[in-house]
Amino acid sequence: MTEAELLQLIKGCVKQDRKCQKLLYKAFYGFSMGICLRYAGNRDEAAEVMNQGFFKVFTHIGSYDPERPFKAWLGKIMMNVSIDHYRANLKMAYAEDLDNAEHISDGILADKNLHYEDLLRMVQQLPQAYRTVFNLFAIEGYSHDEIAAMLNINAGTSKSNLHKARQKLKQMIFNADSSANGTGFSTGMDYAPVVAIKAVGMSGVFINKGIRE
Amino acid sequence: MNSEKDNLDDLFKKGLEDPVENSLYRDDDWGALEKMLNKQQKRSGFIYWLPVLSAVAALLLIFLGWWAFRPKTGGNIQNTASISHQQIKHTGTNGGATRQISVKATISQITAIPADVKNIGKNNRKNIGGLSSSAGARRYTAGLQLPLAVNRQATDLLTSVNGLNNFRDLTLIRLTQDSDIKIAATSNGLSNKLSANSIAASNKVKIKQVSLTHPRLTLSILAAPDLNGVGTFQQSKVGTNIGLLFSAGVSKKLTISTGVIYSAKPYVTNFQDYHTAYQFPSTDPVNVTADCRMLDIPINIGYQVYAKQQNKISIGTGLSSYLMLHQDYTFNYATAYPAGPTNYTVKNNGNYYLGVLNLNATYQRQLNSKFGISIQPYLKLPLAEVGYAKVRLQTTGVAVGLTWNLNPSLKP
Repeated sequence: MTEAELLQLIKGCVKQDRKCQKLLYKAFYGFSMGICLRYAGNRDEAAEVMNQGFFKVFTHIGSYDPERPFKAWLGKIMMNVSIDHYRANLKMAYAEDLDNAEHISDGILADKNLHYEDLLRMVQQLPQAYRTVFNLFAIEGYSHDEIAAMLNINAGTSKSNLHKARQKLKQMIFNADSSANGTGFSTGMDYAPVVAIKAVGMSGVFINKGIRE
Repeated sequence: MNSEKDNLDDLFKKGLEDPVENSLYRDDDWGALEKMLNKQQKRSGFIYWLPVLSAVAALLLIFLGWWAFRPKTGGNIQNTASISHQQIKHTGTNGGATRQISVKATISQITAIPADVKNIGKNNRKNIGGLSSSAGARRYTAGLQLPLAVNRQATDLLTSVNGLNNFRDLTLIRLTQDSDIKIAATSNGLSNKLSANSIAASNKVKIKQVSLTHPRLTLSILAAPDLNGVGTFQQSKVGTNIGLLFSAGVSKKLTISTGVIYSAKPYVTNFQDYHTAYQFPSTDPVNVTADCRMLDIPINIGYQVYAKQQNKISIGTGLSSYLMLHQDYTFNYATAYPAGPTNYTVKNNGNYYLGVLNLNATYQRQLNSKFGISIQPYLKLPLAEVGYAKVRLQTTGVAVGLTWNLNPSLKP
């Protein structure tokens, strides 16, 4: 899709033209889904969150600045709805009992032929709190302070969650390696005590879960 | 160690950044989104039209108000003609809500007098025991003759009434109780065929007229959940209201109401709409969550557009004053450790007079002669900036109320 075509579509969306909305949706479905899948536990959940994102895109399309790249704007909205979704489910989160993965050397990461599907499945298997922090830090590139502000947690909690996420992922990769078919990398799921994640406050959560950009 | 972490992060970053064609488009997903969009469109359609509809309703009200109160030509005649049983019966004793009407003897107004007399006849008939609409009264009034003689220069009215003699005595008895009306019954021989009795009314007949309808007084208790937003309802929060309203019907269709409503109005505003002299250190908050409690004192006028059996629909408009009781603002920042304050509670709450426009529509159902229930969707639009933060806060909601007729003998 060329820049001009995209602008045309966006113009149609501003007028709430359903056809343009569908075309835009189709064009950015894969991109948006890619983001939401990383934050969600499974495809259905990701699709639900992504739709909430597109709903925001279509209802706030008037506030989009055509001077800025659309993809970045859309990506940010998808990330924000994913975080909102995480916060909505914040009350109960699973904290995994981590097997000691410290011994696993990062050497195993080398020469691994892990594909998108494998990596996604691993990330999705992380407890939501770990997954969210890992996504924001490792993939989106936010700092712990920024993550703490976004998620209403302490920077320390963010660091700790990232550490635990990495430990879990390492373990999964290790297990994936040891089981030849790569299907047995789920570990520790049989023991999952429920703990409340410490939240600084929910004051940032509004009815519209406002778009922050 | 750090590089190991980076390796892991890199592995996932590179692997997950580009989802290639893994997420194949599913039509079901679009279907779900379309449903959401349709729902929203319906809702927002209503909200966007609400101000327009309200404006139309307000214009309609202004027109109807003008129409109801426009200066009437020949008002004297109408006023005189509408003197009823009650007035004749009560004048002189009833001092409340009176209006003085002077009848001047001009040709155009002469017809007023027979009408007057007609009423007198009716009243007497009524006093005798019949209703004014009874056949007897009709027959009687049908026999009226319009003025046979008019002495213009003397400005005395001379009217001959056929058949009035039957009731003459009674008429005089009733009328002489009224010190303002001087009526003399004389035989002037103008009408030989009839036993002509003429009533000469002085040209300055002053009749104290009691308003035809007592004001209908209604007290209502209402409770309302509503949505509050600044500039838009996109970021709205739900507030609660509870109040007492007193209304008085000033005419058959017009009602004036006032009262006190306690309102809790939470709202969220972008920081741009929050006005303060205070300079936030380094970073401004992203938005502000406010918790305001106030007394809302409305003065509204309502016009009844539909009334059948127990059901009534009216539209109304008016102005509200907000007397602030409590204002608390919480500042939300983008960063976790803001340098600025997170909270501000206003110490001196101000009052904001007539700064809010009320628009409403009311459906009322009468349960019995005393009680009724009402449902009132309403919209409050800011005419001025309100509160410490000088925000233009708009509100929409539905008030549910219980109404109590204070004078149930009058049909509400």
